Amino acid sequence: MKPGEDLSPTSWVKKDQPTDVSTMAHYKDGGYEDVLEERRHTSDLKYAMKSRPDVPRYKYCKPRTPAEIKTQVLNSDRLRYTIEKISDATKTSKEEIMKEAGSILDDMAHNLTVGVVRSVAFFLIKVFKSIFSRIYVNKEGIQMLHRLLHEYPVLLMPTHRSYLDFLLVSYIFYEYDLPLPIIATAMDFQGMKFFSWVIRQVGGFYIRRAFGSDTLYWAIFTEYVQTHLRNGDAPIEFFVEGTRSRTAKSYQPKIGMLSASLESYFKAELPDVMVVPISISYDRILEETIYAYELLGIPKPKESTAGLLKARGVLSNDYGSVHFHIDNPISIRLFSSNKIDRVQHALEPRYINNLTAQEKDVMVHLARHIVRQQQGHMVISPWALMASVLMQSREGILLRQLIKEVEWLKRQTSNLGAYVNWPGNTSSESVVQHYLSLHMNVISISETGLIELKLVLPSHMKKPVADEVMLNAATNLILSSYRNQLLHVFVQVGMLSLVVNTSPQVTMTMEDLYQGYVFLETLLQKEFVFLQGETKKEFEWAVLTLNHSGALAIKDNHVLVKQSINKYTTFFSQMFEPFLLGYWVLCQYFLSLPGDIQGKPLPRKPKNFTKEAQKVALRLLQENVIRHYEILSLDLLGNGLLALVEMGCMYKDKRWVSHSVTCHTRSVTRHT
Amino acid sequence: MADANEPGPEGKRHLVSNNVSYPAIKSINLEECRAEKSYKLTVEQKPSSIPKRRQELLKWNGWGYRDSKFVVNKNGHVEFTGERYRLSNTVMPALRDWMINTVGISLEHQQPAQPELTAADIVAPIVNEGFLEDMQRTGISFTDDPQDRLFRAHGHTLHEVFILREGKFKRIPDLVLWPVSHKQVQTVVELCSKHNVVIIPFGGGTSVSGALECPENEKRMIVSLDTSQMTKILWIDEKNLTACFECGIVGQDLERRLAEKGYCTGHEPDSIEFSSVGGWVATRASGMKKNIYGNIEDLVVHVKVVTPRGVISRNCQVPRISAGPDIQQFILGSEGTLGVVTEVIMKIRPLPECQKYGSVVFPNFEKGVDCLREISRQRSAPASIRLMDNEQFQFGHALNPEVKSVLASFVEGFKKLYITRIKGFDLQNISVATLLFEGTKEEVANQEKRVYEIAAQFGGIPGGEENGLRGYMLTYVIAYIRDIGFDYYIVAESFETSVPWDRVLDLCRNVKDRLIRECKERGVQFPPYATCRVTQMYDAGACVYFYFGFNYRGVGNPVKLYEDIEMCAREEILANGGSISHHHGVGKVRKRWLGQTISEPGLGMLRAVKQYLDPKNIFGNNNLMIDSKL
Repeated sequence: MKPGEDLSPTSWVKKDQPTDVSTMAHYKDGGYEDVLEERRHTSDLKYAMKSRPDVPRYKYCKPRTPAEIKTQVLNSDRLRYTIEKISDATKTSKEEIMKEAGSILDDMAHNLTVGVVRSVAFFLIKVFKSIFSRIYVNKEGIQMLHRLLHEYPVLLMPTHRSYLDFLLVSYIFYEYDLPLPIIATAMDFQGMKFFSWVIRQVGGFYIRRAFGSDTLYWAIFTEYVQTHLRNGDAPIEFFVEGTRSRTAKSYQPKIGMLSASLESYFKAELPDVMVVPISISYDRILEETIYAYELLGIPKPKESTAGLLKARGVLSNDYGSVHFHIDNPISIRLFSSNKIDRVQHALEPRYINNLTAQEKDVMVHLARHIVRQQQGHMVISPWALMASVLMQSREGILLRQLIKEVEWLKRQTSNLGAYVNWPGNTSSESVVQHYLSLHMNVISISETGLIELKLVLPSHMKKPVADEVMLNAATNLILSSYRNQLLHVFVQVGMLSLVVNTSPQVTMTMEDLYQGYVFLETLLQKEFVFLQGETKKEFEWAVLTLNHSGALAIKDNHVLVKQSINKYTTFFSQMFEPFLLGYWVLCQYFLSLPGDIQGKPLPRKPKNFTKEAQKVALRLLQENVIRHYEILSLDLLGNGLLALVEMGCMYKDKRWVSHSVTCHTRSVTRHT
Repeated sequence: MADANEPGPEGKRHLVSNNVSYPAIKSINLEECRAEKSYKLTVEQKPSSIPKRRQELLKWNGWGYRDSKFVVNKNGHVEFTGERYRLSNTVMPALRDWMINTVGISLEHQQPAQPELTAADIVAPIVNEGFLEDMQRTGISFTDDPQDRLFRAHGHTLHEVFILREGKFKRIPDLVLWPVSHKQVQTVVELCSKHNVVIIPFGGGTSVSGALECPENEKRMIVSLDTSQMTKILWIDEKNLTACFECGIVGQDLERRLAEKGYCTGHEPDSIEFSSVGGWVATRASGMKKNIYGNIEDLVVHVKVVTPRGVISRNCQVPRISAGPDIQQFILGSEGTLGVVTEVIMKIRPLPECQKYGSVVFPNFEKGVDCLREISRQRSAPASIRLMDNEQFQFGHALNPEVKSVLASFVEGFKKLYITRIKGFDLQNISVATLLFEGTKEEVANQEKRVYEIAAQFGGIPGGEENGLRGYMLTYVIAYIRDIGFDYYIVAESFETSVPWDRVLDLCRNVKDRLIRECKERGVQFPPYATCRVTQMYDAGACVYFYFGFNYRGVGNPVKLYEDIEMCAREEILANGGSISHHHGVGKVRKRWLGQTISEPGLGMLRAVKQYLDPKNIFGNNNLMIDSKL
């Protein structure tokens, strides 16, 4: 050591201010590193022009241009077969159908171009630096991808909470010299000429949201996805939730895209396919306000270029940090082994679409599994904890109290195995204050230090919403979306707590407890993602967790109800109460429906059901019967409706028909 | 085997060579025939090339002749001993490094085989006294010599050879019988049925399906019915171009003796030196030159089989028949479960005037497969065409002998330069097809022209006759290499399948990938060697042959490990639309997939036939459809 060097005990600390919130982001906890750190000190232009020499490529890949890909798709066996069939069935000439196919493909195809990618990188890095303080990436995941992309075709499946998701994926892949993914994008963007063009150039390809029976479209789409997978031109990215989750909870997964891709594996065109779930956690979601209004049924503004540019005002805000977690790959071979028999496809040409029932089943399983794996690696922001506490403090809460509650909740969250992004070197007070400052748009602090919700006026609404209830609801929904980020962690113990809390008995057998749990899981099946066939296991895990943390008193295989109603179970119950209230409102509304001559309610469309149920909810709120604004959420009401259909309380024919809901209403009521 | 000097009792001759010259004895023989007022040639009978006490000529615990094996010589180079093969008595300087670099062997780490087993090490026989008494009266030759019994207790799967090298069989035949005629076989089967003794027919012993292994829990006496003394060519019918063989004649003797009369069957499985006619029928064998001559099922005109229920035979020898389902098809591939094939009438052909080798170099395996597919589409396949992948090409290269002349080395260098520099091929990607043409001079010339034209469309360039010849020769020698591998901790095996054209490439890639991945996941410490070649082509698909081996140093129970991995590979093959087997058969090692292959009712059909023909399960080798209940 040179003489004169600082010998203080903290000489290894670069900036010796343990309580400064801005330093807390320097840590590399859990193997995360901040991508923006280096970018803040180097030239963006140089960055955009950097050479990418070691980009891994699938070992069997034969390089081709986007134009060659198109030609190969149009000349594929699958397409020729489909065109032949359509031509025979409709008596249209093959040339005509081919022409149509060509234009469908033109609408669909990406045009990944390095030049544009570089310009976009240049632009994106500027935006990211201005709106985010940190973008954390798990380095291990990057290294894993470098190896994996060489060995197998890869499907990237990020969580979908924001438009920024796919930009972030591409940006990070650019940053770490990984091949840029091609991205399945919904048609929503096509209205915006310039952005639509840009997205194509950076690897986006467009698919219609619904094309159920259009065999030509399905064939082109399948072949287009599969040809990329087979040749491994690039990793393919799509969102298993289908669309951006407006509630920040995971949506029920869709399997369309998954089945189009995995058919290639089922038919042994590939040695394996690797699914890499990616969990992207935001401190603050860019579209939070828009989502809230959408959930209340105010139509979302069409994504026009002008609209996005106007959103630049939003871009000058601080959106905290992002955690980008690349998860361990799921090998489709291992996941599906013993569940399917690929031999079944040996007797037919492989371009004929015919997946077996087991294969479809495996994909439903897989889709749920992927969502659960995504959830497992979501990083819980302290703000999500704060939001959960604030949601349960309708009259406002003092900072001191808030800190205390949040610290308690943090412990519970960790005990359930979730990773909370809580800097260890900083006082809880500064952490809480930091996050309050990030979310001042929904929070106000009174002179007495009482922290409570604030009303918001969305910037893009010309006229303010007249009804005060709706306004409050919007703010509330924003806050609830952050609480929602915590719910997947607590859903099992939450359901258990609900059963205990609503029990009229003194003791409860484990069987009764389980039955109550099963009922709630069935009821909430559209709200949360449960794994098929794992109910018992998860129930047992929840019992064990609550029992060990002292929340659930069990003696001689019986739950002692009185001892089990405590802070834990009450808090956990209340987290889920709004959903049950919403469903209760839904049931009330169904029961109030006038019947026809035979006393049966008249059929209607589901959309109308939820709309009208929302009116009932609104009235209840106005009359102050219920104080949970979330019952106004169309998403919640819609999920409830779907669950009731699944449970057999409602059924659908060509239109939807409501049916008796009496018996279950009673049970729903019981739980609230 | 090309140019292999096969020692017959009468001396040596070239089984295959570039320009075949045949003795002009045809007319003389015809004279003789007419004299006898028959068009059937009688053939002078000669003893088999393989002695009764097989272990005197053949390795007791490995492949092939005792005198032929790979050894590391005193200079540390690999050398192939003996004088039988083209490669015999040559040093292959590149092979040692190939073995070190590709499969990670180390010359310091050896795993030698156990010494030859003596009577004390071999389990005592179970004796059925009544049977033995009756047997003695028949005058049929038999023995209970332990080493003779041991020799007939196995085929050549990895599992079996490993037991010979390092362990002991729990169950081996209790008696070896050598009947010399159809009639004697009938006697044996009758006696065995009478005394409830199990018969396991034994031909050339080249099985690679575990078919010859004795069921471990068989409590009855087991006799090995060795057909090796039934080697007569009963007649040759020049009018119909057919010949009648006894079941025990081995391929090399059969072709040699037919050639003396100017004929051949053209059936050349890779095991031709040792495998027998009866074995070909019982396993549904396939020959290298099937494009001209057909596989065994195309060659066979009539089969005579002795079953416990009686002799199965047709009343005519006709080219085709519509008489209900073909009973002969039940025999072809029955793997010794129904009876013993005793006499076979096969088609024969006049020896071809000209035989020529060739080879084509492709920039990669994919192009090669595309080319084969096109040749098949145009139905212009030569007698044989085989496409090696790059790994196998590299291996073939490593087997190159010491370059003895400056000129040869110069030519080699020039060829390499031409292919890599001028044609722009990458030696790490190229794939080589070996070709064998047969026919008249004009036919061969035409075939050659056509094949090379098609090859050119797929970027293939002719690689010379020498490379073709070497390729076929390697087939025979490659069987020997496994034994030296064993000495250095390598376990290796080959397996095959048939697959539709559209799935050939996917299957090759996926199976190799699976093999490598399974090795990795099971903790194999060294990179495995997985390679394949397309060895046969048909209108609707091809036969693919895999070689797979790995260095098991550092992991326990290599045989189990190998078998588990091969099982995964077979599952991958089936998932890729491949078959349970193209010509090796099912035996015991592939039994588990037979049900799904032929469906449960299909399996039931086989069982019903078995039940009728052999209700006591005298032919109880436990192959194919026989389950332990039967």
